[in-house]
Amino acid sequence: MNDMDAGLLQDFLTESGELIEQLDQDLVTLESAEGDDQSEVCNACFRALHTIKGAAGFLGLEAVTEFAHAAEDALNKLRKGEVAVTPPVMDLLLQSADVVRGQIEQLAAGDDPQRGDPALIEQLHAVANGTFGDAGAAPTQTDAEGQQSDEASGASGDLPGVPLELGPQKMDLIEFMAADLKEYVNQLDDAIDGIGNDATREESADSLAEIADNLVKTADFFELDDLTKLTQLLLDVAPKLHDAKHDLLDDIVVRVKACRSLIDEQADALENVRALSWPIDTFTQRLATLADGTAVEAGDHGNDVAKVLEIDGVTEVKPEASDDAGPIAKIEPDADSAAAPANAEAAKPEAEQRSGEDRRQGDRRQSAGAAAPEQTIRVEVGRLEELLNLVGQLVLSKNRINGVARDVRDTAGIDPDFAERVGEAAGDLDRLTGELQLGVMRTRMQPLAKLFDRYPRVVRDIARMADKKINLEVEGKETEVDKSVLEALADPLVHILRNSADHGIEPTEDRRGAGKDETGTIRLVAEHQGSHVRVAITDDGKGLNREVLAAKAIERGLTTPDACDKLSDNEVFRFIFEAGFSTAKQVSNLSGRGVGMDVVRTNIAKLNGTINIESKWGEGTTIEILIPLTVAIMPAMVVESKGEQYAIPLQTILEIVRPEDQAISSVQGQRVVRIRDTVLPLVDLRDRLMQPPADPSQRFAVVVKVGGTMAGLVVDRLIGQQEIVIKPLDDSYTQGGPFSGATIREDGQVCLILDVVDVLKSASAQLAKAA
Amino acid sequence: MSEPTPTDAALHSDSDILQLVSFEIGPEEYAIPILAVQEINRMMSITRVPNAPESVEGVINLRGRIIPVVDLRKKFGMDVSEDSADTRIIVVEVGDEGRVLGFMVDRVNQVLRLGRDIVDPAPSVSGATSADFIDGVGKLDDRLLILLNLDRLFADTELPETEIAQAA
Repeated sequence: MNDMDAGLLQDFLTESGELIEQLDQDLVTLESAEGDDQSEVCNACFRALHTIKGAAGFLGLEAVTEFAHAAEDALNKLRKGEVAVTPPVMDLLLQSADVVRGQIEQLAAGDDPQRGDPALIEQLHAVANGTFGDAGAAPTQTDAEGQQSDEASGASGDLPGVPLELGPQKMDLIEFMAADLKEYVNQLDDAIDGIGNDATREESADSLAEIADNLVKTADFFELDDLTKLTQLLLDVAPKLHDAKHDLLDDIVVRVKACRSLIDEQADALENVRALSWPIDTFTQRLATLADGTAVEAGDHGNDVAKVLEIDGVTEVKPEASDDAGPIAKIEPDADSAAAPANAEAAKPEAEQRSGEDRRQGDRRQSAGAAAPEQTIRVEVGRLEELLNLVGQLVLSKNRINGVARDVRDTAGIDPDFAERVGEAAGDLDRLTGELQLGVMRTRMQPLAKLFDRYPRVVRDIARMADKKINLEVEGKETEVDKSVLEALADPLVHILRNSADHGIEPTEDRRGAGKDETGTIRLVAEHQGSHVRVAITDDGKGLNREVLAAKAIERGLTTPDACDKLSDNEVFRFIFEAGFSTAKQVSNLSGRGVGMDVVRTNIAKLNGTINIESKWGEGTTIEILIPLTVAIMPAMVVESKGEQYAIPLQTILEIVRPEDQAISSVQGQRVVRIRDTVLPLVDLRDRLMQPPADPSQRFAVVVKVGGTMAGLVVDRLIGQQEIVIKPLDDSYTQGGPFSGATIREDGQVCLILDVVDVLKSASAQLAKAA
Repeated sequence: MSEPTPTDAALHSDSDILQLVSFEIGPEEYAIPILAVQEINRMMSITRVPNAPESVEGVINLRGRIIPVVDLRKKFGMDVSEDSADTRIIVVEVGDEGRVLGFMVDRVNQVLRLGRDIVDPAPSVSGATSADFIDGVGKLDDRLLILLNLDRLFADTELPETEIAQAA
């Protein structure tokens, strides 16, 4: 890669990444949108691609520019309604978005982006030329071709010398570039006003230079000699204004204004695809001279822009001139040479310009949004992580202070007033830390939309490939979760959705046969539930078949026929989360390898989340995921097992009981406890932690539930409930135990966090063996 | 990340002088490059981690970071001795990924500079691959110094518990 500014590149990557996401969504929306909506969405797509292309061009990323350009051309045809929105065309465009995404990812990885597949580019060109594919473009093909040739003849002579940049299909780019140009011109006003004032001159000159820089770049696009000259002139002059001579200031300012007015006129003219040209040599020379600090003998302009343009010979001296012979020469698009001034038809362009005004308003409205004061700032994730880490440590210190305050209160002989003061201070600290923690946590919250918005595309692709009709309904995508939760959810949700779409929803014929709506529906719903987020994926497909799953589970040795009979439906369904468990007869392109659902379970477990399946054969399946809002800090019950302390996530705990001796019995070698009406297997934590066994009576049973499994975890003693800060236990030396992490106790010692899923899993393995 | 690790940098650089920290485990004296050492701590309470490899004593809280602590005596197959007032935990950074861990030693002796020319390659004991994590032996006037290669020493959790004492 060349030595482009790393910061610029980073900005580009961030922005383009977001734009591509947006583009993806919009393209999928586009397919189902109708009428006005469609053209609006189409415009949004076009804009996104265009922005990426522009930025890539600026950074000299040719591979990206080239491809984005081709895609843009194709999209442009859709935008104009010359090519119908058909699935093949959309496939192509979505693929194109993927290519650009790939290129951006390559860049992010520090590689040079690869050029797009020539075949794909060829197809895009075909769309742009209206010759794409078969049925897709057919209805409009003749129409498109007709227009095409019109444009071709028009454009070839339109802006001479630039057939490549402004080829027939690219005419519409002008509209965007002209809007940009116009926008910059409007920005000029403030800067110019400031120059006249001594106090603000330097600042204004700087901003003028900045705007001029943008202008030059935009103007380059058009390859118009005069426009380039004028913008370049502004750029050259701007820095010299810092110490412009005072007595020349009027002369300069009025000419800068004149400059602005000329560029403005050109911008307006561009809306109608017209190039302007003026005899500006005298004018430019005079402004340059003035800026260099030399007076110019020109005549009195009375600070009037029109007057100064006359004086400098840009416009003809024609006091009343307005309609019959325009003050400014205009070139018709099909004129032979850009340099040839044509005075005719001045009035018509004027009118057209005015009608163009309305359109421009629309464009400007969007840029006005960008000019509003910023309500958000981008913060590096690393800084937030650091902040969260600090808050985590603060929570630990707070816990310690609280411990000390308790000690002070409980120690005999300490002045009760003093103890109370310490207690109060500790209480305040407790509250404040809690709020701070919440605040910092919020900064890391992101809406699930970030994920959910990708899924219509996923489902669409599967539907296309499997030739099914699937409608994805998304609800609650504004629900916010911690960034790390969001990231960890990404893969599981895709796997579940794929499963639902590929295996859940039946082929169209089958659905018809079953008397169902031909179009399958997948509902993706998210909502807050206390300190948790519930995400549910429901499909109205064929549902899970208990018999098939049970047979498979027995075949794979996960259970025995006898044991399996005793399992609830829910427990049988859970086998789909086992690694390598797939009942699909064929491994398709999309799923069936039996890896996906295993990933789901592992990822959800990592988040201390739980997962549930409900399904009715023939009616559909619901997979429900419950995850904590954040993974960094959570409430837990600290317990003791043979003098060692362990934390159990509170969210997995249903209740804690002290089983009476007579409630404990043994079923097939497995200790069980009867609590009210249920019989629960008992898992002695000491067994799992390789400690010498102890009699379960006189100890506590922590009733935990993860997924469909419930068990009583026997511990020696309860220490108490605490907010714990989760620290990773990621060293290879310390992995492998039934622990999801570690936390730091009030006294600074390490306390391991039990991975209840793991604890119960090995318990149920023992159960299966016993049975 | 092809940056040389501190160990590599110290032992395989062109410099003729090695800067080492020496410590004792049982009857032997060992040394590691000073650049690999993050800090040396007094004994602190270690939390046992069930299911961890035999030689892993547990984890400690190193200013908010949880790191494993290895008992080198167990790793080297020596008799386990009681912790004494001289017992230290040396915290080192090993491997390419900046893995931080601690190991217990009976006593930390000194920081010393050693000419490369007085370091012999690890003696190859017939049929033993146990010298894998020994980078060499430094011959001092009155004693021998075993130079450890930390990256290899902690490379694998399943490293056979070889008896380095005999190899040396």
